[in-house]
Amino acid sequence: MLPEWMTKTEDYAPPKDGGAFYRKTLKSLGGIMKRLKVEGGKEGRFSLPAWLKIILLLGLIILVSVVQDRLIIMACGALVLVRLAMMPAGDIWGVLKTTIFAGVFCAVLVTPAVIMDPARLSNSLRLVLKVMICVTAVGEFNRTTQWNHVTGALRKFHVPGVIIFIMDITFRYIVLLGKLMEELLTAVELRSVGRNDKKYASVGGIMGVTFLRGSEMNKEMYEAMQCRGFTDDYEGL
Amino acid sequence: MNIIELKNIYFEYEEGEPVLNGLDLSLGAGECLLVLGDNGSGKTTLFRVLNGLSFPSKGEYLFKGVAITADYLKDNSQTKRFHKDIGYLFQNTDTMLFNSRVYDEVAFGPRQMGLTDSEVDQRVMDCLRLFDIEALKEKVPYHLSGGQKKMVALASIMALSPEVLVLDEPFAGLDQKREASLLEFLAELKAAGKTLIIATHKEEMFKDLVDKVIRL
Repeated sequence: MLPEWMTKTEDYAPPKDGGAFYRKTLKSLGGIMKRLKVEGGKEGRFSLPAWLKIILLLGLIILVSVVQDRLIIMACGALVLVRLAMMPAGDIWGVLKTTIFAGVFCAVLVTPAVIMDPARLSNSLRLVLKVMICVTAVGEFNRTTQWNHVTGALRKFHVPGVIIFIMDITFRYIVLLGKLMEELLTAVELRSVGRNDKKYASVGGIMGVTFLRGSEMNKEMYEAMQCRGFTDDYEGL
Repeated sequence: MNIIELKNIYFEYEEGEPVLNGLDLSLGAGECLLVLGDNGSGKTTLFRVLNGLSFPSKGEYLFKGVAITADYLKDNSQTKRFHKDIGYLFQNTDTMLFNSRVYDEVAFGPRQMGLTDSEVDQRVMDCLRLFDIEALKEKVPYHLSGGQKKMVALASIMALSPEVLVLDEPFAGLDQKREASLLEFLAELKAAGKTLIIATHKEEMFKDLVDKVIRL
């Protein structure tokens, strides 16, 4: 038997609540999720093996980070630009977007130091340049290397299978956790019909459920992979 | 007056074929609509449109005579009133529960409605009783079984007393006893003038309840 209040039509006027909190969170989460998607890189016919690319990438990042000579930094930058110019237009723009974002972000961070001591301008510009070169190189690597070749290369470097497994699953399936969070936020939004005085408690609940579900999904996936013959070995991939 | 009216609704995702192709539909108070279709036929998409979570690429969706558009739902107050009037049970109820106690889960909506504590408590206890889950009120929703989670999710929606109830596969994961009690509850709800929209693969179970059927 239905309670009386459930059978009536309510003339409801929602109490005022500050800001479209969930809507904004949802929107930003969606944007982040899109960027977190691990896309399979396209390898050309003459593409270097993944293990060599990893060594070259790490070498470049270390070199650019430690070296102070402007000429060497410029040479590294030119090398990265030449590689970028050989990529398809869509990929160039994709890499450049991240590079520009990283450069601007870094510039904002170093601006207070430059304002306090203008003599640091040259060093600060060098730092921004270094960041942009490294980010561009990583972007190029990401777009020209297939993910399964990366995991295979890591196995060649004798990285333990369990570490590669955790890394692989984290990168590949972080988007699933993002989607789970998005659905939870949608559920919260649909039932947020008035003034929520415990917004942060709701967000905490969502984080908690996402964490629990994430670890459960990880375990289930590992068991499913074992049932299909996975032996913690990435060598054959 | 129709509560829900869909006029020539089209919806397509970025990749692939359109999932809703010129859909027309009207539903009045106390009517029950059954939405049938294979997996991936667009049932959940239709439900997202009905709940203002997605917007059609073409056509018009009227709820109580008001066009539900992205612009309309930019107004926080209108959005909240709309969500109060239409309750949505997800296919995967796992993603509907985010509180640490079943009681808090059901009380989440009523606590925001400006009701007194005793009114909130009354609503929560009524809903727990209605779905026979009183014994679970101190439990953690995450640790419940699939069927129990579904009941808690439904109770948390009904605590808002919506005029329209949208149910995506409500019988999935329920045992026979719970199926029967849920069917009885839906019949009572319909008799009370609430509008029901149900996606199901168990068409025959609703033969005494259904007024309209669409197949996607």
